Amino acid sequence: MSEYKVLPGPEAYLPPSAASMGITLPDPGEALIEGRIVPEDEAIEYAARKLLSAKVPTIFPGPQVLWKWDEMAPKIAKALRELAVILPARLIPMADYRPKYPKIDPAVEINPNHPNLTIWHNKIDVCMFVGVHCHLSGMGLKMIRGGTDCYTIAMCLMAGHEDACISVRDTTDEKIRKLIDAVKKLKAQGVKSQALPFTQFKHDYKSVKE
Amino acid sequence: MNKKAAVGNKRIIASTHVKLGQKNKKGQTYTDPNRFFFETPGTANFLTGSEVIREAIKRASIDMSVAYPITPQSEAAALIGELYAEGYMGDYFRGESEFAVMSQCAGAAFGGARVFTTTAGPGTMRAFENFPMWAGARLPIQVCVTCRGINSPLSIQPDTLELYFLLETGMLIWHAETAQDLFDFILKGFVVAEQPDVHLPIAVCCDGFFVTHTKDTVMLPPDDVCLPPYDPYKSPVVCMDMECPPVRTMRDPFVMKSNYISYAAHATWQQEMRAACDRSRKHTISLLDGLIDAENTDREILIVASGTAVSQGREAIRLLEQEGVKVGLVKIKSLRPFPTQEVREATKNAKHIFVPEFNMAGWLAREVQAVIPDNHRVVAGPRVGGGMTLPSEVIVEEIKKRLGMKVATLASRGS
Amino acid sequence: MSKEKIQICEDLYDIMPPEYQDMVENATYGKEGRGWKDIGESKELIEQHSLCAGCPEAIAFRYVLASLPNPENTVMVGSTGCTSLVFPHVAVHNIHSLFGNQNAVASGLARALKVRFPDVQKDVVVLAGDGATVDIGLDMTMQSWFRGEKFTTICFDNELYANTGGQESGLMQKGFVAKMAPVGKLFDKVRLPEIAREAGCHYVACLTVSKPQRVEKALRNAIFVAREFGPTYIQLYTPCILEIGKQSMEGLDEMKSAETVGGRFVFKEYMTDAVKDFLADLEAKEKAQKKTAKKPVTA
Repeated sequence: MSEYKVLPGPEAYLPPSAASMGITLPDPGEALIEGRIVPEDEAIEYAARKLLSAKVPTIFPGPQVLWKWDEMAPKIAKALRELAVILPARLIPMADYRPKYPKIDPAVEINPNHPNLTIWHNKIDVCMFVGVHCHLSGMGLKMIRGGTDCYTIAMCLMAGHEDACISVRDTTDEKIRKLIDAVKKLKAQGVKSQALPFTQFKHDYKSVKE
Repeated sequence: MNKKAAVGNKRIIASTHVKLGQKNKKGQTYTDPNRFFFETPGTANFLTGSEVIREAIKRASIDMSVAYPITPQSEAAALIGELYAEGYMGDYFRGESEFAVMSQCAGAAFGGARVFTTTAGPGTMRAFENFPMWAGARLPIQVCVTCRGINSPLSIQPDTLELYFLLETGMLIWHAETAQDLFDFILKGFVVAEQPDVHLPIAVCCDGFFVTHTKDTVMLPPDDVCLPPYDPYKSPVVCMDMECPPVRTMRDPFVMKSNYISYAAHATWQQEMRAACDRSRKHTISLLDGLIDAENTDREILIVASGTAVSQGREAIRLLEQEGVKVGLVKIKSLRPFPTQEVREATKNAKHIFVPEFNMAGWLAREVQAVIPDNHRVVAGPRVGGGMTLPSEVIVEEIKKRLGMKVATLASRGS
Repeated sequence: MSKEKIQICEDLYDIMPPEYQDMVENATYGKEGRGWKDIGESKELIEQHSLCAGCPEAIAFRYVLASLPNPENTVMVGSTGCTSLVFPHVAVHNIHSLFGNQNAVASGLARALKVRFPDVQKDVVVLAGDGATVDIGLDMTMQSWFRGEKFTTICFDNELYANTGGQESGLMQKGFVAKMAPVGKLFDKVRLPEIAREAGCHYVACLTVSKPQRVEKALRNAIFVAREFGPTYIQLYTPCILEIGKQSMEGLDEMKSAETVGGRFVFKEYMTDAVKDFLADLEAKEKAQKKTAKKPVTA
């Protein structure tokens, strides 16, 4: 039993990993909210509420959902795009894991080795990781908790993340759709998105070249 | 409130990319670990520890093994070669040194294979640079360490000093007491080490000769069942096979540069690998029935030990019982992660805690001293080294001395 | 991985960095006959690097990546050194684990890939510096050759330890004054190409990277031979201009002078008779293919 709470930071120069503070991962059907084990649906609804309440809600899709390498990836990608439209939320990719500092453009990409740069630059107050390999998301989430005040949500394809404020495990496109439904339901109840106006950043390398 | 992993809550999740119930080319049925470990009836076999390693690997669905001769693991490594010849694994070969062998295991694990190897004593030391690399790279390789002396002059006898060196590599370290433990730990070790939230190398250790070369009765499930194979895409890191994204991946890029951003990444990487070790508790508790076994911990005198020192402690307890001295026992199965809470709980009533060890350093005593309150209660010993045996009588002697009882020293008896 | 798998999900395509959009559209994964001539015309697999300006290793790296016959099914293994500062930016899975163990890692890797993908040709290519290949890793380099492991070893030979600041290495020429060789190196440059030939390499080439078509040819030969026969070895002179006191623009001249008659890097190749026949066959086939490709499409 742990009293440790996984809350937004900035927590410390080098905050402890939540696992070392006694936070354990959820079993299937369960999820984590700030270190507490809760039923998964409760966490999904809470995530929807957090995303709607954010000024700069941002989804960080990782390589496992950006690349069309298995059957699940394009389905999740499609659901994520719908989620981004309906919230609305920014989509900023974590295209790969190579350390890019200092050559990173934090406006349009995030990197697990220095995710705080992207959070700071865009003033992101609620973010959601999806499809990032667990070792790298574990690092990224903890560094965000260490140095920023961003609220973190991890929709993990595997066993979940204690280092996120909210974490759902075994994520599929259906779980993202549950999140979309939760957003729709809250909106129907009159909860309004607090997102500041923005334009989704679109890259077009052809125009870059021309 | 976070919940505590419950002992006896025996449900473990394993890979499902290959259908359970399907047969491999040797006709073995891929079996859910919960069924494999807790519902498959076993039969008694009288085997050496080396043969037990073979029997475990026969059912472990490994892809590859790499071998190198060093006493006392050579026999086990050669028996695995026979399994290869019989078609139980995809590849097997003899490497050129333990350093190379552990790198070859790393290469295979980077490429998505389930890998097993064995080593001992000086071999462990020769291989050493690889172990923290394995852990940092999150490679779930299993190495069976059959402990042997490492100092000069040369000794091929059991001595657990090498375990002291292994403790801070970031690997999971389990210490088997008996041949039965060894069989169970090897198979369960794959299941825990390969969990996506753990995904770390594991050293399943036993004391050389005492376990590897003596015969013992071991309950074995039938050999027509085996573990489900490893799924390299249920991994927290990118498998190096050019079949998964991102293609632009180096395992593992250097994050070191002299600036705060890079320091933070490197330190966080280290934390994440240790967090993974902590996460293994939940899975290990349900598979091994806890990280420790505790008997009669309400008693004022306790023996805390790991490996064959537990067996010697058990016999000492029986001898002391005859003289009316009641002693409890704590057997530590997992050294990493260390059962901190469990040891605190189990030792809370004890006034004297004896830690018998097969090494001169007394690392287990230090580990116990570091985590319990009032650690003057710990008697760091008795200890032997260089392969000298530790008779139960010596443990009895140590305890009686501490209690102010009269003792005749064993050494004065002559032969 | 088939070329089809190196694709971005449509729904997230527009948010991907342009370098990746460019990669999926214009990289030469799966292109028959890819080679050094694609450089400048298509997306290279090396995105960026942090090597010194004018470093011959950088151009060697680009030629090697452009010439891999099958990058979508190639996994590379590196070792500690300047190359490992480039590898994170290479769009082929690659491994760095320790200094000097690259051929051991590659042995395990190649075998694991063979076990996991028995019907797919997965190429494993080692690329390491001369310190890793010849000094600290010589045991594992040679043992992988003795065992007949089916992969290619490339050594970027800059005749010293560059990344650590210019110390003596086994491939350094005799008499050269360097760190840790304060009175000049006392023994000859190790004859690794000859050692490779004797240790079981079926194809060995030693050259500079002054001529890209030659690098391409040697690399393709080495990889094709490794698939069919066993270990192959290529030693490429990539002088460290920084440590030998040259300017950024002098790398090419240095290589050219090293490969002239009597130089340390006059082009040489060793191969077994069987390999000779195999390569001649391959060349004939490629020529015939090119001929048919040139014919105007009727029908």
